[in-house]
Amino acid sequence: MSRLLLDGWHVVLGIETHAQIKSRQKLFSSASTSLLSHGSNTNFNAFDAAFPGTLPRINPKCVLLALRASLALNCHVQQRSTFDRKHYFYSDLPVGYQITQHYSPIALDGYLVLPSTGKQVRIKQVQMEQDTAKSIFESRERTSYIDLNRSGSGLLEIVTEPDLESPDEAAEYVRTLQATLRAVGASDGNMETGSLRCDVNVSIHRPGEPFGTRCEIKNLNSVRYIVAAINHEIERQKALLVTSQPVAQETRGFDHHRWETFKLRSKEDAPDYRYMPDPNLGVLAINPAEIMHVQRTLPLLPEASRTRLIEKYEPQGVTRDDIDVLIGLDAQSDNGALPEITATAYFEKVVDNGRRDPKTVINWILNSLLGHLASQEKTFSSNHLSVNQLGEMIDMVASKELTGPSAKLVLRHILSNPPSSASLRQLAVDMNLVSMTKSSSQTGIEPDLSEICRRVIDAMPSEVAALQAGHRNVVNKLVGGVMKETRGRADANTTRSTILSLLK
Amino acid sequence: MLRACHRSSFLVSVFQRRAIHSKNGSINAFVAIADNAPTPNNITVGVKSNICTSELTTTCSSGILKDFVSPFNATVVDLLQASGVQVIGKTNCDEFGMGSLNVNSIHGPVVNPFQHPSSDTPWETRERRSAGGSSGGSAAAVAAGLCDVALGTDTGGSVRLPAAYCGVVGLKPSYGLLSRWGIVPYADSLDCVGILAKDVALTQKVFDILNVHDPQDPTSVPSSARNEGPTELRNLRVGVPQEYFPAELSFSVIDATKRTLKDLKAQGVTIVPISLRSTSYALSAYYVIASAEASSNMARYDGIQYGTRVPPPTGSDLSKVSDVYSYTRTEAFGSEVKKRILLGTYSLSADAFDNYFLQAQRVRQLVKEDFDRAFHHVDVLIHPSAIRTAPLLESVNYGLDSYVQDVLTVPASLAGLPAVSIPVRHAEDGWPVGVSVVGQWGADELVMKVGQLIESIQ
Repeated sequence: MSRLLLDGWHVVLGIETHAQIKSRQKLFSSASTSLLSHGSNTNFNAFDAAFPGTLPRINPKCVLLALRASLALNCHVQQRSTFDRKHYFYSDLPVGYQITQHYSPIALDGYLVLPSTGKQVRIKQVQMEQDTAKSIFESRERTSYIDLNRSGSGLLEIVTEPDLESPDEAAEYVRTLQATLRAVGASDGNMETGSLRCDVNVSIHRPGEPFGTRCEIKNLNSVRYIVAAINHEIERQKALLVTSQPVAQETRGFDHHRWETFKLRSKEDAPDYRYMPDPNLGVLAINPAEIMHVQRTLPLLPEASRTRLIEKYEPQGVTRDDIDVLIGLDAQSDNGALPEITATAYFEKVVDNGRRDPKTVINWILNSLLGHLASQEKTFSSNHLSVNQLGEMIDMVASKELTGPSAKLVLRHILSNPPSSASLRQLAVDMNLVSMTKSSSQTGIEPDLSEICRRVIDAMPSEVAALQAGHRNVVNKLVGGVMKETRGRADANTTRSTILSLLK
Repeated sequence: MLRACHRSSFLVSVFQRRAIHSKNGSINAFVAIADNAPTPNNITVGVKSNICTSELTTTCSSGILKDFVSPFNATVVDLLQASGVQVIGKTNCDEFGMGSLNVNSIHGPVVNPFQHPSSDTPWETRERRSAGGSSGGSAAAVAAGLCDVALGTDTGGSVRLPAAYCGVVGLKPSYGLLSRWGIVPYADSLDCVGILAKDVALTQKVFDILNVHDPQDPTSVPSSARNEGPTELRNLRVGVPQEYFPAELSFSVIDATKRTLKDLKAQGVTIVPISLRSTSYALSAYYVIASAEASSNMARYDGIQYGTRVPPPTGSDLSKVSDVYSYTRTEAFGSEVKKRILLGTYSLSADAFDNYFLQAQRVRQLVKEDFDRAFHHVDVLIHPSAIRTAPLLESVNYGLDSYVQDVLTVPASLAGLPAVSIPVRHAEDGWPVGVSVVGQWGADELVMKVGQLIESIQ
């Protein structure tokens, strides 16, 4: 039952997501799963290439990851599920059928909560199936090239009920699903690299009237495209319906050059897949004890994680917005690589059980660290400032061994160079940035702060005169002079008091 | 006609190679023969052309695989070679195992090596009769002494039927005992590797080598579920199913079967008439299921990864991939295979699925239940293996009649039960007759023991 109205229409959306299962081997063959970096046709065996006489053998790791995903989506795991062959001829399907779970999938009837509104999106089912090979069409040669690396890799197909009501809700659903799958390790859920793909079903109707005809938009591989495709499709269907034309039930694609959906095939052309139970695979039986064990060992899910962070750190001055931005950092990645540690884990490790002030830490992360990464057009996933380095930096600033500006210089230096395991203190010393304090002159290495102040006082006589004439703010200019000399190493307050005491 | 000799490291005795060459020309049992070298006296085996060997072609007697060499050996081939058994060649068969007379083959038909004792023509010009199918080449090779033993596959009777026509022993073990890794599938839920030899003792010997769990085959029964089962012959109760004596049964077969039962009775065996009521539906159910699974298993043959490729003629519409594939599949598949693909595709189509495929599965369950009930009262069943003796090749009709050959063998296939065909004293018309012994699942030892008993009283 829709409550949201978009321009006078109820929009009804359902999403089918295909997520690559994050296992080392494929679903029914022992060949390795591939990364984009692997050369084509390097990770396949006779079974993936459909050689006669080969047989499927289920990979238990894929079943475990499917279980974790299903439980994270609050589904009822089926103790008995089966596998079926879905038949069609296409160049990326060497064996002429895909092994999927059509009649009896592994999990049914779950839900996913959208964090911004608390809305529950119902999950109809979760099933395991094989991925196809990849076909690349070279238009100049008018030839299709087939890469078998992906052929037979495990996929989770996750199907929602038509509960989503706007493009924004759809986008939030996809992002939340990605975070959930990543949290349980079932999939990288990365749309840029193809480990997550979505098909969206769209229909619209006037309030009080029955659901309209739906169209399916296939193979959307970014959240931006999903939103754009839904918007275009809504407008297209609206334009037909207001002129009393029917919306034909069609399967459509999205053209991201022209930014619109286009017809792939009509309902009449829809293939009959002749689903047949796979006679080699029997029943996948999962006993209740196993399901309970997986449930107990599930890591904390994003929603629960967010609640915990808010409860722990909001009292210490960290805002909900800060926390949401922090969580959101994990949704982005450069080149599809994921960082070794999530942004939230990074934050908590630096806070180190209250050793450092959470507000200070999160400000450093969200302002200085992210700011610098953004200036290089990178995201948190490219960060290589280690937990220890950031922690040390914050400590040295707190003990005034580093000024704020100096710390930022060190940070910039670290991020602009290849990762280093050197301690932050060592790097700061090498860069000659450790603060000048009155006591540092006792090492005999650093020039005396007093000496530098004296030099600056001598170099700026008119400012000194103005100060002694009563213009107190001019002292900042003198402080500025010292900062320039020391390249920011001197502490501003100490400098001010040194200058003032020298001029008494 | 001798075809395709591939150089390989298989060793064959000089004597047998001479025999193979001189005789095979008239039988056409072998389609590929291993290279020769002198060798000590080991068991020699002929391997059916739908069983993968990394040396010698695995053609499945089909145009679509006519030059195909598999990158790996079937598990059963590896097991035999590890035991010192020598593969001497690949045997002729019906294309992809689909046929009952071994006439559907790109290598040409197999000619039954048997010659009626009353005949006065030279053997090479003997009456040309079918060797049965689909493992006709394997049965004929053993019958003619070209090899000691042969491997075949039995999906609906394809080892037992040719064994009966050629006068040799043919065993179809319980489904799931012998590994199907490397067996080119026709119908996965029905295919079994079968063994052919001149006597039960040698059949048993090879069975013992191959009766091993294979983790690469998901339908291979785990070791914990394999045990010898009953082997006691005393107080043996033999059931004779009344539905296995249809009107079409030839007099030769009835006569030979009756004599066998009489001789067994004289040995102290109790003969019990029983009824397996679902028998009349079994043949239709078998062909629906087998064709459906075949249409699925044949989908992979598109000429892209391996096998024969027929390029589309210039100017043809290449916009649909299935159209591109159809040139290869139309030309390179034989007509029987194409027929079964079409029938199987139909039975799986959305409109027909419930009435054909699902219904056939329900009948299959009824057939199993019939056997289960029978085995509460008897230890084994005995019945004729075929409705007649080997038919003349020239009288073979390619219509539905050829399917009727399978009516007696198909039920044990549907139920996955062990069955062996034993050659009995020649029929009234002088041609070989086979009598089948069928046991409950897992009772392979008992089935072979009863077979040996029948052998001993010939």
